[in-house]
Amino acid sequence: MKTSKGVNDRKRTFLLITIPVLVLFFVFNTLPLIQGFIYSFTNFKGYGSYDWVGLRNYQDLFTDARVGKSYLFTFKYALVCTILTNVISLILALGLNSKIKGKSALRGIYFIPNVLGGLVVGYIFSFFFTYILPAVGQSLGIEALSSSWLSSTSKAWLAIVVVGCWQSIAMNTIIYISGLQTVPEDVYEAGSIDGVSGWKKFWSLTFPLIIPFFSINMVLCMKNFLMVFDQIMAMTKGGPSQSTESISFLIYNNGMSGGQFGFQSANAVLFFVVIVAISVFQLTVTGKKEEQL
Amino acid sequence: MNRHMKTAAGLGSFCALGLAAVAVLTTGCGSSKTSDGKTVVELVHYKPEAVKAFEALEEKFNATHDDIELVIDSPNDAMTILKTRFIREDYPDIIGIGGDINYSNFLDSDMLMDISDYEGLSEIKESYLRTDKELEFVPMDGVYAVPYMANAAGVLYNRDIFEEHGWSIPTTLDEFYQLCEEIQDAGIQPLYFGFKDTWTTLAPWNAICVDLAPSDICSQVNNGSATFAEAYRPVAEVTKSLLQYAEPDPVAYSYNDACTAFARGESAMYVIGSYAVPQIKSVNPDINIDSFVFPASNNPEENVLNSGNDLQWSVLASCKNKEAVYEVLDFLYEDENIQTYLDDQNAVPCKKGDFELPSMLDGMKEYIEQDKMADYQDHHYPSEMAVDAMIQTFLMDESEDALDTFLTRFDTEWARYNRDLIAKVQKFYKDHPEKLTEGGEES
Amino acid sequence: MKHSSNKQTRTVNWPVTILLIIGCLTIFFPLYMAVIIAFKQPSEMTNDIAGALAFPAKWSLDNFAEAMRVTDFWHSLGNSLLITLITVLLAVVIHSLAGYAIGRSMKGSKFYNFAYLYIVSGMFVPFAILMMPLVKETAILGIDNRVGVILLYTVFFMPMNVMLYKGYLTNIPIALEEAARVDGATTWKTYWSIVFPIMKPMHATVAVLTAMSTWNDVMTPLVIMSGKGGTTLPLAQLNFQTQFGTNYNLAFASYLLALLPILLFYIVCQKQILNGVVNGAVK
Repeated sequence: MKTSKGVNDRKRTFLLITIPVLVLFFVFNTLPLIQGFIYSFTNFKGYGSYDWVGLRNYQDLFTDARVGKSYLFTFKYALVCTILTNVISLILALGLNSKIKGKSALRGIYFIPNVLGGLVVGYIFSFFFTYILPAVGQSLGIEALSSSWLSSTSKAWLAIVVVGCWQSIAMNTIIYISGLQTVPEDVYEAGSIDGVSGWKKFWSLTFPLIIPFFSINMVLCMKNFLMVFDQIMAMTKGGPSQSTESISFLIYNNGMSGGQFGFQSANAVLFFVVIVAISVFQLTVTGKKEEQL
Repeated sequence: MNRHMKTAAGLGSFCALGLAAVAVLTTGCGSSKTSDGKTVVELVHYKPEAVKAFEALEEKFNATHDDIELVIDSPNDAMTILKTRFIREDYPDIIGIGGDINYSNFLDSDMLMDISDYEGLSEIKESYLRTDKELEFVPMDGVYAVPYMANAAGVLYNRDIFEEHGWSIPTTLDEFYQLCEEIQDAGIQPLYFGFKDTWTTLAPWNAICVDLAPSDICSQVNNGSATFAEAYRPVAEVTKSLLQYAEPDPVAYSYNDACTAFARGESAMYVIGSYAVPQIKSVNPDINIDSFVFPASNNPEENVLNSGNDLQWSVLASCKNKEAVYEVLDFLYEDENIQTYLDDQNAVPCKKGDFELPSMLDGMKEYIEQDKMADYQDHHYPSEMAVDAMIQTFLMDESEDALDTFLTRFDTEWARYNRDLIAKVQKFYKDHPEKLTEGGEES
Repeated sequence: MKHSSNKQTRTVNWPVTILLIIGCLTIFFPLYMAVIIAFKQPSEMTNDIAGALAFPAKWSLDNFAEAMRVTDFWHSLGNSLLITLITVLLAVVIHSLAGYAIGRSMKGSKFYNFAYLYIVSGMFVPFAILMMPLVKETAILGIDNRVGVILLYTVFFMPMNVMLYKGYLTNIPIALEEAARVDGATTWKTYWSIVFPIMKPMHATVAVLTAMSTWNDVMTPLVIMSGKGGTTLPLAQLNFQTQFGTNYNLAFASYLLALLPILLFYIVCQKQILNGVVNGAVK
């Protein structure tokens, strides 16, 4: 069947596509990253002159309480958000993909949170958590709601979880919806003949087919939530009592706006290594599952 | 078919570009700026809100000067833009920034030019020039910034509410507490804070610092002759004492909430700077605001106005047209042009002379005229140390040893975030022991 | 779609429709606040709930007109559209090719497995660390302008998009391509005539996600163009925030205006996602 000429053409074409793309990627991603890596051995402020400080920045990373706290916060936040977002957007995608009235309008509406600017989201949700929620809590006599979440070191992160999920559900839903398009109708037809329905249909028929999209969404969630920055700037700016400082917040705020460019470059390098380790692990696990199916 | 070709060509050019990038990355290049015989002076400042005033000034300057073309740039997020321009070595001639840690850092990186031969310096109020001197990490010879406009911080109060109740302006800390009690008894909220925006914690902090802590405390700590634990203890105490007169849970409310509340008459006073007035007036244009100096000390003589350089001009070391730049500065400092700026923005001019000050600074006028002023101490704090967040943490901390925790942390973190600077300063004084005594006398 | 409609015994699924409409409230409420604030005057801003949720004193479009003037709307919009559309076009073409080439070659090839992980891992590089070196790099290359911004976007979104395309291809049987190969078509030709059209729903998804991120991005144009060259809408919107004050009313009006084009783009694209041709036809 396979002529060797065809195979060679295929290989050559793939290589001709891949190499320029890799070069482009190298030049505008890896090259600056290497440069940042070099800066991580300096006390560079982002401009002007600097000194080499050897491994000091890396040593500091492990003794800096703020950095440690930011890793804890970020991973806790990312874990909760990833689960919530995936569950909700999968349900939403199934809903929006079923036979409903006003499909276009509904899909359009659920897309809006993702495109509202940070200033708008920050103002409105701050107002909600500062004024509306406590008022509701007080009138219903619910202790946990009767004071602002944003001024509580134990609850502020939940407010950011709410906003983070609210904004990113749209994106994950779109990906799930496009994933659902690859599920052939006849799978359902076969299923309905066999009398499979509801949950069972979803778990045994639909879900296995959209596992690639599930793993894509897991990776994208990890990216978005582990690198959370916008929502924190909009809602708490790291407060109260520095309880919601994320890793990206520190890297950006102290590295770019502050004078810790060298130190935060080291932080970024460490962060990068940690995430890549996690996602390689994740990709291999889900990759194996995909192959099994 | 056509589409295929284009993609192939596109990919090819990307590839070429990528290779070019690798080759070119190690070399640099400069740029020259001249056009049709005129000397171009480029000025970048960080006050986009004053863009109208500067557009008018730019136009006026260019209409009256044949040999120089002034280009004023008022970008949003100017600090980021300046830093990225410095990275690519694309320097403007003049930068207009605040007298804060950024200025200290730029100066420390040898980016600014000594302009001590600029004649206009003699026209500038002493305290503002002194402020800039104190911003130098190690004492430098020469002058590197000309203060243009200052702002002031203290207590803004609602004049109508005060007149209605016949309250008078306090001059000592005890009088201030008494006033707060009276206001509370009248059923009015004395103070309103927006501590959700951590930076606003620095407003009372700075205003109290100028009265109770030495103005060069940061330099003293850097050269090893003082600790914050000692110097900031009373400051921290007074700052925390204000909470009893503020709305409950002040950390829940933002700067904007606090401005709105004060504008709506929900509180009689607001410990913040004159810079907040436009935001307050946007909510209530008719509000009658006046201000007074925060009386943190019980000795009225010790109370000084918290005022710092909000906009000052520095010339970049790379600038080649010093004379043209001085001509631009001369123009900016003409009384008439200063007034143009003042009419547009609430500010205190740093030039000596009679200018019409905005009415909400009435209560601070005396201090301005007598030059009884000291800079915001946070201008010395590195922003990455997040002193504002530390103060917020302290204010929220209800445990018994909150004060000690905070002060100990302040000293430790200061040493950690300023490690290289402290080493540099201590080395400098080891080499120049005579400067240490000079610095000590200044305070 | 055609054959499913006559076979379907179900009609409109009302319970789901109603649940989805109720869910919309979580979006309508913030949106309602955004709209009324956009119509209010600064002097109508208040901290009490009833006042904040009340209608503006009058429904006038003044804020929108003023916001358009302050942001130099048509000019900024043009720039934003230009950058976004070219980025989306490049993304769909380059990233789909890359996703196809890599995705189809990964089985048993260490090189392509590495290439895939290499590109996808780029997703986790914080922009802050790349920023300063990129500023310098683009300046040296003379692309510290819109071209550079577009090029950078093409690189930034590559990890996500390559992953998406690769994931989508997993579910697309290879049989069609092989049939074409047997017929003597080159890989390049097969790609454009068979694979590219099949990926239509994913093109639409990629287009939406890429457009969305590009449309809202402030940092890249801010640092790469450094205030020179064209202003994009998000850059112009920084006008509403100064160090010590924010004009929420104008800002909200401007954000709502900026929301419309991207929403429209999404609605057009999502029709493409829906009309995906994969169903049945491929098998």
